[in-house]
Amino acid sequence: MKYVDEYRSAETARRLTREMASLVEPGRTMRVMEVCGGHTHTIYRHGLEGLVPPEVEFVHGPGCPVCVIPMGRVDDAISIAERPNVIFTTFGDMLRVPGGRGSLLEAKARGADVRMVYSPLDALDIARQNPDRNVVFFAVGFETTAPATAVTMLRARDDGLRNFSAFCNHVTIVPPLRAILDSPGLKLDAFIAPGHVSTVIGTHPYDFIPSEYGKPVVVAAFEPIDILLATLMVVRQLREGRCDVENQYTRVVRPEGNARAQEVIAETMELRETFEWRGLGSIPESALRLRPEFADWDAEVRFDLPGVRVADPKACQCGEVLIGAIKPQECRVFGTACTPETPIGTCMVSSEGACAAYYAYGRLAGERDVVPA
Amino acid sequence: MIVDRDGCVTCSDVAVTALVVSVTGQTATVEVDGRQEQVAVELVAPVLAGERLLCHAGIALTRLEDES
Repeated sequence: MKYVDEYRSAETARRLTREMASLVEPGRTMRVMEVCGGHTHTIYRHGLEGLVPPEVEFVHGPGCPVCVIPMGRVDDAISIAERPNVIFTTFGDMLRVPGGRGSLLEAKARGADVRMVYSPLDALDIARQNPDRNVVFFAVGFETTAPATAVTMLRARDDGLRNFSAFCNHVTIVPPLRAILDSPGLKLDAFIAPGHVSTVIGTHPYDFIPSEYGKPVVVAAFEPIDILLATLMVVRQLREGRCDVENQYTRVVRPEGNARAQEVIAETMELRETFEWRGLGSIPESALRLRPEFADWDAEVRFDLPGVRVADPKACQCGEVLIGAIKPQECRVFGTACTPETPIGTCMVSSEGACAAYYAYGRLAGERDVVPA
Repeated sequence: MIVDRDGCVTCSDVAVTALVVSVTGQTATVEVDGRQEQVAVELVAPVLAGERLLCHAGIALTRLEDES
């Protein structure tokens, strides 16, 4: 199958890892953060940690939007969902994310009309089909998802659909990267940047990482060969003493991104002064809210929300996992009190979360697999 | 709507490639793994039948460059 088979070739994987092995310096560990949860998922699913030389260490980053949503925002969502006459629509993974008052799935079990959708445009259709109900969409995600919400808001406005609104929790990728780079005791050598976010924002927003922090960045796609090639590009840069922004995902990512997508985001949303990230705390100008012109479609304006900050469970170490300070299996509740069936932290809820990916694919692995060159 | 079998649709970085079958206004009928779906295409317009699009959460984000 085009676009799949050629990116899963074992022969190509062996060739890439052989070249990597020829470039690394024995004993010098290169710590590479893959920012995106999709990359984390591929790394575990395809056993890439066991393929790369021991000197290359993957560190899992904060790029799973489900994982970074604070518990208080989940409680706000539940408070909307439990109101009479509301149909609350959400992507599937948000259903099980625990807030301080349980999850949306538990609210649904108590009688709230909570429905799973794959697109905000599906939520808009539900609003058209239910003119007597208030339909709310739980808008979550980075810059890849924000254009879908933006297009939906524009269509809702143009169609005069007054029974639809969005609870906007969109976040942006650059501020948490800067927060990680500024964190004390940082032990990262390079970044593998998210591919599909970059289809929207382009590659230029990462320029500050080499210019201000002296670390290489490679934008990467999601198949195993993509990630191995991106890792090799990182290793080459480190070996040659370079730090640049490079693009492995040239088949879809353009340096300038998608200008039209950037325009619809800017037309419908604006930066919040600050937003709380799970594990990273409050980060200035790191999230989006709907513009005042869209107040009629803004659930935060239409509904009186509790807006209470809820502390994470003490046993949960999602925060340290999200910034790469510890590996999932080093969390004190990993695989015991916290499992995909009964998650305590968000990293175990989303399939893109580092803990869920490690639980599914990596928890039984012992010593690194020895792969013949 | 299109959903990746392996991943989480909420994740910003899950997206799938789709082949355009036909276009009506700002909506395209696309084929993914033999199934037909509708996606919004205003962010990548104009779109032609036979093109490949990268889609996420019901909208097309970009078109794929043919590397063949």
